[in-house]
Amino acid sequence: MVVKEEEMVLVTPGEVLGKATEVKAGKGAYVAKHNGLVYASLTGLLRTLSPPPDSPDQRATVEVTGHKAHGPVPEPGSVVIARVTKVMTRMASADIMCVGAKSVREKFSGIIRQQDVRATEIDKVDMHLSFRPGDIVRASVVSFML
Amino acid sequence: MEFVSPEGLRLDGRRPTEMRQLRAEIGNVAKADGSAVFEMGNTKVIAAVYGPREVQNKSQQMSDQALVRCEYSMANFSTGDRMRKPKGDRRSTEISLVIRQTMEACILTHLMPRSQIDIFVQVLQADGGTRSACINAATLALQDAGIPMRDIVTSCSAGYLNSTPLLDLNYVEDSAGGPDVTVDKVIYVDFALNGRVKASVLWDLWLYFGSYGLKET
Repeated sequence: MVVKEEEMVLVTPGEVLGKATEVKAGKGAYVAKHNGLVYASLTGLLRTLSPPPDSPDQRATVEVTGHKAHGPVPEPGSVVIARVTKVMTRMASADIMCVGAKSVREKFSGIIRQQDVRATEIDKVDMHLSFRPGDIVRASVVSFML
Repeated sequence: MEFVSPEGLRLDGRRPTEMRQLRAEIGNVAKADGSAVFEMGNTKVIAAVYGPREVQNKSQQMSDQALVRCEYSMANFSTGDRMRKPKGDRRSTEISLVIRQTMEACILTHLMPRSQIDIFVQVLQADGGTRSACINAATLALQDAGIPMRDIVTSCSAGYLNSTPLLDLNYVEDSAGGPDVTVDKVIYVDFALNGRVKASVLWDLWLYFGSYGLKET
């Protein structure tokens, strides 16, 4: 994708960036359903990205980059690095410190269940032999907790 | 008591359609994700926004959108007489609810499921129009925190005294007993009716002055 940086324009939420038929809403922009216009949702610099030449949708993407970078959020499937806080018979609590290669701004709490520790003989796992409070583990997120 | 002189000047020398001086600063509270100080004349409020972050009370967590919480309080020294109970009283609870509903309608909450956004607003100096100043400060603080919103929310109050519609009431005009209204960019409207006023007058007042004041803000 080629970035057009001829003019850096500052936009605020609610400013019209274009029509939904002409531009695609990227990060920091949204489409209003009632009139089909693309508005900005963040305060920041506007960037227009040209679409790749082989894609079927030839609309340019508009996105707004704010001045504050948000920390990453863990999702099912992401690889995280966590520190174990509590160890119980059937599970261990851990605080997620990094998602991928980026560290989070505020910690997320998660649990490691007995059956998710290893692939074989999952009911014979002894949590106290596997983890101790303070251990750093690399884990893959299975799902969100309800 | 005369609130509008025969020449058309109010007690502080303003014209009926004139707003007080506006000042704003952002980024004052370094620890918060976003913060802003907003002044409308002598009314000064500070807003701090934390979020989106993990929900502290898991029972309130919503799987499809963010939880927005708001707390409005007045500093003990904000009014002429030292306040006994800065928060928890009915007025603070009501204004907290008003601000929360306004901001919740504006924030794109579906983009941040399972998270919480906290808005704290405190009045440092109260001279009428604290509700409006709080909403304006909260908007700026949310933008400073980089939270996606549909639009900027602006707010202004208007009233009716001495048969004249007035814009941006200060404390003396607010407590005079006439009807007054706070208009927030058509997203949420709050009425305070004291005394008997014809409904048609109030609607005209609302439409004309509310939008006039919002353009200025």
